[in-house]
Amino acid sequence: MTLFLVKRLIMLAATLLVAAIVVFSVLEILPGDPALVMLGVSAQPDTLAALRAEMGLDQPAWTRFFQWIGGLMTGELGRSYTYDVPVSELIGERVVVSLPLAVMALTLSTVIAIPLGVIAASRHNKTLDIALTGAAQFGIAIPNFWFAILLILLFSVTLQWVPAGGFAGWDAGFWPATQSLLLPAFALALPQAAILTRVTRSSVLEVLQEDFVRTARAKGLSRNAALWRHAVRNALIPVITILGLQFSFLLAGTIIIENVFYLPGLGRLLFQAIAQRDLIVVKDLVVLLAGSVVLVNFIVDLGYAVLDPRLRSGGGHV
Amino acid sequence: MTLLSIENLCVELEGPNGVCRLLDQVNLSLSKGQCLGLVGESGCGKSMTAMAIIGLLPQGMRAHGKILLNGEDLLKADEERLCQLRGRKVAMVFQEPMTALNPVVPIGRQVAEGLRLHLGLTRHEAETRASQTLARVGLPVERFALSLFPHQLSGGQRQRVVIAMALACGPEILVADEPTTALDVTVQAQILDLLADIIDEFGMGLVLITHDLGVVAETTDTMAVMYAGRLVEDGPTVEVFERMAHPYTRGLFAAMPSHSSEGSTTRSPLTTIPGRVPDALSRPAGCPFVTRCGFATDLCSRELPLMKTLGHRHNAACFNIAHVEEGS
Repeated sequence: MTLFLVKRLIMLAATLLVAAIVVFSVLEILPGDPALVMLGVSAQPDTLAALRAEMGLDQPAWTRFFQWIGGLMTGELGRSYTYDVPVSELIGERVVVSLPLAVMALTLSTVIAIPLGVIAASRHNKTLDIALTGAAQFGIAIPNFWFAILLILLFSVTLQWVPAGGFAGWDAGFWPATQSLLLPAFALALPQAAILTRVTRSSVLEVLQEDFVRTARAKGLSRNAALWRHAVRNALIPVITILGLQFSFLLAGTIIIENVFYLPGLGRLLFQAIAQRDLIVVKDLVVLLAGSVVLVNFIVDLGYAVLDPRLRSGGGHV
Repeated sequence: MTLLSIENLCVELEGPNGVCRLLDQVNLSLSKGQCLGLVGESGCGKSMTAMAIIGLLPQGMRAHGKILLNGEDLLKADEERLCQLRGRKVAMVFQEPMTALNPVVPIGRQVAEGLRLHLGLTRHEAETRASQTLARVGLPVERFALSLFPHQLSGGQRQRVVIAMALACGPEILVADEPTTALDVTVQAQILDLLADIIDEFGMGLVLITHDLGVVAETTDTMAVMYAGRLVEDGPTVEVFERMAHPYTRGLFAAMPSHSSEGSTTRSPLTTIPGRVPDALSRPAGCPFVTRCGFATDLCSRELPLMKTLGHRHNAACFNIAHVEEGS
């Protein structure tokens, strides 16, 4: 188990480094001079040169890369051109919106999808299965921003249960803050839950064909007991793989959803930073997001080891 | 005392091309402490018979006839009753120990599960019983902790776990579907010895499904030969081996590889039964074996031979038994 952890941790660090190199290179290659953007096209050449020197843009790319990486390691993320505040401060303010949102969405989709998928599989080709599969297909087909608008129309405009947008802030108390995240979390969770339901269903169906399910039945377990006690845990292994992969889609989704709901989260910050060519913010944010994806996959790997004893190393033959 | 009695068991599968009969008029009986061998090549209906006994036929298959366990007809029992009987009165050992165990559940819990379900034992009691049962099948807890997972055991050890699971609740009938096919030859002998010891010790009945006539000769008291979903010959093992009346039984016997006694370097090629088992949808009108039989006559392709008594509980379904016996 320790060896397993060490291996995964090394993988984690390596993936992050590669992500940083890719992000840096892409932004290097991209046309557009941040100094020019800040000063406007009519800027004087000498002012431009001075600003470039101040921002370190006159130094060779690899020097800037190592400075940046060193900064990331020590928490010195640099200063935003447009907001003129430290990037770490900028990110800190927004993480408290985006992280709870992502966790809520992921939890919602898991809690909805896994039971539905298992139930659909246990009623294979019966009415409930067909209804659930159809609903899941529908869920996949609906774009989440449109679903978000429908949610706003129903719950905010018509029923007036929750605010239509904006974030109350955690200072306003737990419930008001959670309330403003509920609809966005649902909007994000729906397509994920739809996909996850289908994956769970097919995975459970496959496992139900396995010999050990028949063995469990031969022991005297009822169909449902064999399903929940023996099939589901085996079926969850591919499901958590998809769950890990979905996390990156979830992050991409937050960019849109945070804009629809006017939430001051990381997705909106990234969107604004790109629009304003605030390259330092973009670079730091993308590495942060990449890092969180890698971290979630690391957790997924640990999840495999919990679910499947065969993946824990060190268990040889007796 | 008759423990299990199967009368006119038929299993049918309703398909797009009409009803297809997979088992036809199977009659078997098994007494306490006895071993019944069920022999035949792949696809002859041996496993189907086993699944019918334990009530786990695949969806879409219908069984009729009677399967009497101590006089209770299992085919009339509802699902709830069957769940009570499975594992408690009738237990099963499967062919593939590699896949028959749940890979993510420790072996102790897999053995204890039936005990908690049927006997209502607490977790601790069930684990104690499980470790006793595992010790009985040759996996003492000192070397084989209850917390081991199936992947940490060899094939033979896993099959012992499967047997322990089947034995745990002290069933009256054990159905073993080719329990040794997936194992090494040396391990095969150990597992068969274990099964033989267990039926002696617990006085249960064993239905042993195999295609290995050597195993049948060594282990069973009575035997039944199946072909294309029907019985073609049955009787006490000794008598069937002494006087093989059905050409198919003879064919199976001749197809067993044998050692040449003089240790000569020339090997005779293996004898085979030409042709294949007819598909369940396109079985010939007469005797199902007619296309592969050396003794076939016109009558064989027109009419289905019924079981004829040849002697003490020895029956065979063939029109030409006299010719077959002369030909030997």
